[in-house]
Amino acid sequence: MIFLFIGLPLVVAAFMPLIGKISKKFLPDLLANAVFLVLLVLAATSGRQLIAGGPVLQSLSWLGEPVAVQVAVDGFSLLMLMAIALVTLSAGLYSVNYMNHYGSKANYYALLLMMVTGMNGLVLVTDLFQVYLFLEVAAIASYALVAFGLEHDELEASFKYLMLSVVASAAVLIAIAVLFGATGSLSFAGVAEGLRGLNSKFAVGACAALFLMGFGLKAALIPFHAWLPDAHPSAPAPISAILSGLLIKVSGVYALTRIFFNVFGLEPGAWLSQVLMGLGIVSAVLAAFLAIGQKDLKRMLAYSSISQVGYVVLGIGIGTPLGVLGGLFHLFNHALAKGLLFLNSGSVQQATGTRNLDEMGGLAKRMPVTAATSLVGSLSIAGVPPLGGFWSKLIIIIALVQAGHGILAVAAVLASVVTLWYYLVIQRKAFFGKLDEKWKAVKEAPFWMTAATVILALLVIGTGIFFSLVIKTWIQPASDALAKGF
Amino acid sequence: MTPTTLLWPILLPALAAVVSLIIPSRVKWLREGISLLAAAGVLYLGFALFAVKNLELRVPWMGQGINFDLRLFHFSAFILLGLSGFLFLITLYSTAKMKGHPRIREYYAYVFLSAALANGAVLADNFVPLVFFWEGLLVTLYGLITLGRKEANRTAVKAFIISGLCDFCLILGIGILWAETGTLTLSQISVKPEGLAVAAFILMMIGAIGKAGAMPFHTWIPDAAIDAPVTFMAFMPAAFEKLLGIYLLARITLDLFKLEPGSGLSLVMMIIGATTIVLAVMMALIQKDLKRLLSYHAVSQVGYMILGIGTAIPIGIAGGIFHMINHAMYKSGLFLSAGSVEYRTGTTELKKLGGLAKAMPLTATGFTICALAISGVWPLNGFVSKEMIFHGALESGYWIFAVAAWVGAIFTFASFLKAGHSVFFGPRSEENPAAAPIKESPAPIVIPILILALLCITFGVANKLPLRTFIQPILEGHVPAGETADFTAGALSVFTPVAGISILCLLLALGLHFFGWKRGGKKAYLASEPVHKFPGLHTIYDWAENRVFDLYEQGVIVLNGLAFVLFKGIDRPIDFVYEKVITKTGEAFAGLLRKAHTGRYANYLAWCLGGLIVIAVLINALIK
Repeated sequence: MIFLFIGLPLVVAAFMPLIGKISKKFLPDLLANAVFLVLLVLAATSGRQLIAGGPVLQSLSWLGEPVAVQVAVDGFSLLMLMAIALVTLSAGLYSVNYMNHYGSKANYYALLLMMVTGMNGLVLVTDLFQVYLFLEVAAIASYALVAFGLEHDELEASFKYLMLSVVASAAVLIAIAVLFGATGSLSFAGVAEGLRGLNSKFAVGACAALFLMGFGLKAALIPFHAWLPDAHPSAPAPISAILSGLLIKVSGVYALTRIFFNVFGLEPGAWLSQVLMGLGIVSAVLAAFLAIGQKDLKRMLAYSSISQVGYVVLGIGIGTPLGVLGGLFHLFNHALAKGLLFLNSGSVQQATGTRNLDEMGGLAKRMPVTAATSLVGSLSIAGVPPLGGFWSKLIIIIALVQAGHGILAVAAVLASVVTLWYYLVIQRKAFFGKLDEKWKAVKEAPFWMTAATVILALLVIGTGIFFSLVIKTWIQPASDALAKGF
Repeated sequence: MTPTTLLWPILLPALAAVVSLIIPSRVKWLREGISLLAAAGVLYLGFALFAVKNLELRVPWMGQGINFDLRLFHFSAFILLGLSGFLFLITLYSTAKMKGHPRIREYYAYVFLSAALANGAVLADNFVPLVFFWEGLLVTLYGLITLGRKEANRTAVKAFIISGLCDFCLILGIGILWAETGTLTLSQISVKPEGLAVAAFILMMIGAIGKAGAMPFHTWIPDAAIDAPVTFMAFMPAAFEKLLGIYLLARITLDLFKLEPGSGLSLVMMIIGATTIVLAVMMALIQKDLKRLLSYHAVSQVGYMILGIGTAIPIGIAGGIFHMINHAMYKSGLFLSAGSVEYRTGTTELKKLGGLAKAMPLTATGFTICALAISGVWPLNGFVSKEMIFHGALESGYWIFAVAAWVGAIFTFASFLKAGHSVFFGPRSEENPAAAPIKESPAPIVIPILILALLCITFGVANKLPLRTFIQPILEGHVPAGETADFTAGALSVFTPVAGISILCLLLALGLHFFGWKRGGKKAYLASEPVHKFPGLHTIYDWAENRVFDLYEQGVIVLNGLAFVLFKGIDRPIDFVYEKVITKTGEAFAGLLRKAHTGRYANYLAWCLGGLIVIAVLINALIK
């Protein structure tokens, strides 16, 4: 049953190019979105009952023989599955209209499904090597997707992304190898058990440093972030939404958090916590300033992603239950809101042909739905009540103060103010003000594109208004699962 | 009659106001018809309630002593009757004068809403509903003024702010009084003005005389005379606001506080009254516009009422209250006459008018009677009430106030001689813009004027009737034991020293007018020039015309200066910090960071490796 999350997209991805031979657009659209919908329904309905009695472990058997592939689902995995399903479904719906002018849709959906396979697998596996495996599955699919437009910039960005990413993968692989050598085990529980009896703290420290570099690069934490502002804007808008909204969090933050909490055992105030918080705050503040300087709408959003991932890592790094809760909630809010904003940036780009903020202006008159949903997303990330981003940032800041990190709390508030600043710049330059003569003929985005953004905007508003319900049903179990471990 | 009948004088006009708003502007006569009917209904209620006189409605409202209490007794019944009478006359007049006004729906709505609120304020026996109705009048005051010319908005704001300030004082005073007495019910309060109660008295007095338009809270009235519709002038400053303000002033001095004759507070009120009389009438004398001239008299006459009530002597108080109703009648009549002239000639500027008596005989008659009444000519009502005030002022022991009142009488008559002479007598002006031959105004305009003129005669000649029915019951319980409150004895006698001086004053005014008229080349509108050009006085007049003494205008200048200083001294520097210092620093920082992003793969890889080393070293240092 849990294998369905991995198997279903994988199998459909395999057949997708063949289906593309039969139907260029209709069947791939239908099939891919059906898969996303099934995954969403599965995650939303069956998942919670499944883990009601604690984490669930399943092994794959092949012709009656057990194969050494184990998957497990707990609160944290389920939260990630839910986020993945929500954002991919929106992106998939959005692609129905958006990807029409991008060449082969079947190949596109095949890659997208592959990436979903990788992400779903990553959040479900229970040993270190499989983490590496699915990390690469998702990453390879994403290299191809970033380059999907096949223009010069896109190829360059993709190449840069690939070249930096393999370094990260190598670092992760080295760390895994060292841990395997030291403990003789690969499963999270086994390694954790082995490390407890081991008196080699510097080897552990070196592994932690390698993991931080590897997953930090995937998560685009400063100073490992440099690929992201090139790669994310180059991809087609729905892929940008998934990369920024999901991939950096799944292959970066999730993997890092899972390993640090369940394998190394992160203690509040201990060295791992301090390093994580340091990386988080540096990313949150510096990337916010970097975002101000951008003229390109998608680049600005990309830097904002770095800054917000910094926020998430900061929250999780505190290590206290409240801090982890805030970090995870912010992860969820940011996935929805940033996915929404990248989709909107695609709508604007398709309507006007430009991503340069200085050339836009007054688009709200011609694209009211896009402008309105964009405002919702911006305000949520900037932390304006009552939207989701406000509550998660508030929880993180409260957790910081409770844990005695007053200066970090002030810095976090500062980053939040700067965030509000550049999101207002986006709104003002792109949507408000006087309509430029040359955008007279601009029309609102087509149905599925607006539908996808409206769904996400409603989710953002709903998460903000019913934040206590969302925390109780989805975030708290995830935070508890991290505290308990496997 | 059940106590709930007391709600009718409030609800009926309010309903009429809503109906007027609903009827579309295109529909003809329906609005006027309904308004007249409603006004007649309110007038009937006024008479009916005056016949009942004692009725109380007490409804618990918000707790804490805040109840919706209405109380009808002889004083409030008398004011209610007055208010409803003026409402009817003004409505009748408006059917002709305001016809075709682009915002006619709002006009009737405001008028009837004002009536509803005024009736509520008069009937209220609890301070909270009183303040509620009283403040509501601010809104209709503002709305009615804006119905005038384009420039009226500024005047409307001025009126709103000045009246709002006075109302604020009233509320403050009520608050202090509440703290002192522990009750909000008017009929239960009776304190000696000592200690904090003095502050309460002065604040509430400011609220009352501010509503009535005494100096220095009068400055919006002459502006409104030019900017606002003339019916508004006859309705609000001439009638309604005088009735309300003086009603409250009388309640404060008679019931709420026990004002002693000769006490400091009595002296304060008399000084305010006397100053208002003299200064406002001096301003009125030199006006070149009929409406503006009348508006200054509306201020000046308030002085008589305040002086009368401020004496705290029964005959003075009775004179003040009697003067209030008399003034409302003749001043309303005068404004309506000015409106009638404006209706036919299109102007109220004195030098453009003249000789209208032949063309508009009825308006001229009404104006003349009202003008003689306001000047205090025997045997009209103004003579009676002014005599009572003179007696009161003299009895108070401060003869100087009587002198001030007499000075006021001289210039009042002089200015009305000038006004009447320029408008209705003498030769026609050649500057008159009206092309068509001028004829008498239509009946709805003339009838209210004549009714008011007739009332002026009646209240003068048959002064015993109003004094005994309306005024004396108010003062019962306020005259020393053993004396009867009868002020009618010798009311019209001319052979007393006081009356003699008054008549002498009128003769002086006549002489002054003829002197000025001769000096001005037999042009009536120049008759006040000898006073205007009098050495010394001339500079003061220039200052006054330039609004140097207008506290509101001076306050606006001071506040503008203050705003400028704050803007330049505090706001701009703070703005500079936000606009320049912070954004520039932020942008410079962002630019620095951007420069590091060269797009070179080798750079980025170096960062990653450098980061790895830094983290490794950091962990090495932190790990224990």
